[in-house]
Amino acid sequence: MVRLSDLHPEEAHHMRNMGERFAQMPLDDTPFVTPPPLAEARIALITSAGLHRRDDRPFRFGDQGYRVIPNDVNPADLVQTQVSVNFDRTHYQRDVNVVLPLDRMRELARAGEIGAVSEWHYSVLGSNPNPYLLKDAAADLAQRMRDSGVDCAMLTPV
Amino acid sequence: MPFPLGRPLGVADDPEFQTDVLRSALRLLETASEPTIADFPREAPDGNGEGVWACSIAMPEPDVSDLESALRREVDLLTPWYEETRRRRGRTTIGMSGATPEQIDAVVSLVVACAQGEGFSDIPAAASEPNWIHRMPMLLRYAVEDLRAFYQEAVTSRPGTSPPSQHDMHTWIFEQTALGQALLQIGHRIAEVGDQPLLMMRGFIIPEGFWIDGPTWGQQTRNPGGAQGLSHATAYLAGERP
Repeated sequence: MVRLSDLHPEEAHHMRNMGERFAQMPLDDTPFVTPPPLAEARIALITSAGLHRRDDRPFRFGDQGYRVIPNDVNPADLVQTQVSVNFDRTHYQRDVNVVLPLDRMRELARAGEIGAVSEWHYSVLGSNPNPYLLKDAAADLAQRMRDSGVDCAMLTPV
Repeated sequence: MPFPLGRPLGVADDPEFQTDVLRSALRLLETASEPTIADFPREAPDGNGEGVWACSIAMPEPDVSDLESALRREVDLLTPWYEETRRRRGRTTIGMSGATPEQIDAVVSLVVACAQGEGFSDIPAAASEPNWIHRMPMLLRYAVEDLRAFYQEAVTSRPGTSPPSQHDMHTWIFEQTALGQALLQIGHRIAEVGDQPLLMMRGFIIPEGFWIDGPTWGQQTRNPGGAQGLSHATAYLAGERP
């Protein structure tokens, strides 16, 4: 997460307001689980970069769904329909790993530091004025990961 | 992770740094006994600070009296470098609007038509060729991003150099290119229409600090009135007519 002091004052003000709104959103509890040891864990990536395959449905502003990205995707087949202008895209344009670290995860798996990389990864659209509307999609996504043997999810916020 | 927005792993083309970020996050799973927030201790090794990047491709002063010609001249100048980047990286990020890189002229036509006041409801006739995957007005937002991707991929073509900071890239586009001038003209056209969702889209096209008349979003709140307001704004921008 960027430091607010590094943002334009209008953007920093907006971020503070969003943080205050999120803090008021109803959460029933604070779940915490202990995952298996990393060397045995299957891990999926979830990014809010608005990434999807070129032949998949593009995200639209306020999109309440998610898209599936296979672990063996060719980065050339990915496109990003993220609406915000406030994200630095030049690094992503050079190297998809800066938002979706597929190569790094595979390297950690080959080195035995993690158990396995999930067959599927997932993408949602950040810059959502009301992320609480993603609640149903999040529950569905969690169930799908659980069904496919995923132990942990690494979130890469964009 | 104190990195700029859009770069959760910190920096491109630095596997060692990216792996350090990942390891640091993953190890919390083995050490935390309750929900935990931890700061990543390293800054991203950007190479460039603010205000030090300069475009290495000689570009003419943008001639706002003939915006379309100026914009097409820039695209012509940048095309060899865009193609070099695409060949070397094996990919391009153009395609958000549905246009292919070979259809960049149609993307220019769309942007120019909106800048010159053709409105935001219908796809201009001059830009009807691509298989657009969005409808107006939101199509314009993604066309702008495709054009920005073309520019950005072209001017970061030189291997081994650090990309500009986001602020330096915005500064170059809005202060030194015809593309930036076209986007500012679109901003004025949006102000003339005055619709709230369109002002929201101006905030998606022009970053804060680069709009000359105050906040780029105007004076409105960025939260469009909860679920109902969001639904209305989404439908409007997606081109869904009542």
